Amino acid sequence: MTTDNSSDNFKEFHSFMGMLQNLDVGLVVLDREYNIQLWNNFMESHSGLHPYEVRDQLLFDIFTEINEEWFRHKAECVFQLNTRAFTTWEQRPYLFKFKNYRPITGSAEFMYQNVTIIPLDSSVGVVERIGIIVYDVTDVAVNRIELKAVNDELKRLSRTDKLTGLFNRGYWEECLSKEFKRAKRYEQVSSLIMFDIDHFKHVNDQYGHPAGDAAIKNTADALIMNMRETDVAGRYGGEEYAIVLINTSAEQAKIFAERLRKHIEESVVHYQDISFQYTVSLGIAELSDGISNHEEWMEAADHALYQSKEGGRNCVSVYKGK
Amino acid sequence: MNQTVTVSITEDQRDCYQEISNVAMGQAADLLARLLDVKVILPIPVVNLIEVNELRMALSGIENTESVSGVCQGFIGNGISGEALLIFNDTSFADISSLLKYGGITDSSLELELLMDVANILIGACLRGVGEQLDVGFSQGHPVVLGQHVNLTDLIKAKNYRWTKTLAIEINYKIEGYDINCDLLLLFTEDAIGVLNEKVNYLLED
Repeated sequence: MTTDNSSDNFKEFHSFMGMLQNLDVGLVVLDREYNIQLWNNFMESHSGLHPYEVRDQLLFDIFTEINEEWFRHKAECVFQLNTRAFTTWEQRPYLFKFKNYRPITGSAEFMYQNVTIIPLDSSVGVVERIGIIVYDVTDVAVNRIELKAVNDELKRLSRTDKLTGLFNRGYWEECLSKEFKRAKRYEQVSSLIMFDIDHFKHVNDQYGHPAGDAAIKNTADALIMNMRETDVAGRYGGEEYAIVLINTSAEQAKIFAERLRKHIEESVVHYQDISFQYTVSLGIAELSDGISNHEEWMEAADHALYQSKEGGRNCVSVYKGK
Repeated sequence: MNQTVTVSITEDQRDCYQEISNVAMGQAADLLARLLDVKVILPIPVVNLIEVNELRMALSGIENTESVSGVCQGFIGNGISGEALLIFNDTSFADISSLLKYGGITDSSLELELLMDVANILIGACLRGVGEQLDVGFSQGHPVVLGQHVNLTDLIKAKNYRWTKTLAIEINYKIEGYDINCDLLLLFTEDAIGVLNEKVNYLLED
């Protein structure tokens, strides 16, 4: 009876080992010195190394791609604290640099891996070996990465004005509101410029709408060329623009506005065989105590812009308060 | 068809959950202290039976407006299932990076490494602590990064709540001498509460 029993047990054990061998998950056993003791078919197939070739070899000698310091840090926690450690592909795409399981149709060059490190042989409370479990998560990772790229692109598109590449009105106003709160909170100086193309209707009527679009694009290009990286520029309406100059007084903003005004005045727009010139009028409002929200800030800049229009156009005005 | 089951816990049961959490959290804190070589201030765990959509309220240790990062990990054993959530206040990272023993590694992903390290230890040890006391061995799923540098509401928004009630155990860890604030939340599903109550009643009988 006992022999039957043990042979049954042996068969069971054998079947179980067969399952582990064929499991499509990487299994590696390491000793306290990080020498490889065991590994399954998955590891053999993907690395191309037979178990006898790697047995008692230092893990880091066989897989030079492993960041030794990082891995030791994780594994030492498992050895010393007798807890599991998990790492995700978001931390490091892989532990072992294996080829993508789908080398032809898969878009990833390598296999993304999630890894679990478990304590083994801890019967006396001392962890003498650890097990590494390697999961292939390439599909999940690739999907996540592609989704993020698409979302980022959608976000960019939803914020951008297509013709000019500047921020659109909605997003720009959001930025203005943020800058208003920031500048108020930290009591910093900040200026807003609003401007538009003089007699834009005339440009459209005389040269046609596509030429008008060329002028709108030309204005945006001039704005982008003259602004600093930290400034926030948007297309506010048809031929209206707005720009927030961070950490800038009205006086400094005026220098910028004049430079922009001259730049546009001197530029020539070419559309097909038509060439023409045009001008812009600008209004500046520095953030002051009297302004209590970003809408009022815009009203102030708009008021200054109106003054420029009244004053004969192609000029810059600064808001002087109510 | 959805069967409406009224789940509840008595005061005695609540005290018992709190005691179990106390022991488990102490074990976890001890490991964290050994990993980082610091003194961990032990809080009093908060046990609550809440509606899942009130999850936000269970995170009393984290301020609403702050930017946070979080990891969650599912667990299951003996018919008891749930999720562990670890949420870090982002201001903690500056302080905790000084505690790290990574030496030469100065990746931008350092914060993620830290988040995972602390999650591994706190979640693993807490679950083991709870499991030992209730005589349940928990299997843990792979941890998932919920989000980094997002506001709390975005982090824990779930679109599809299949459970209306959850048993939530909140443990707010602080580290002495550092501006580090992290919230560990153990959430048990509605159908696990019955099993848990039975186990706890057994303990209460002694």
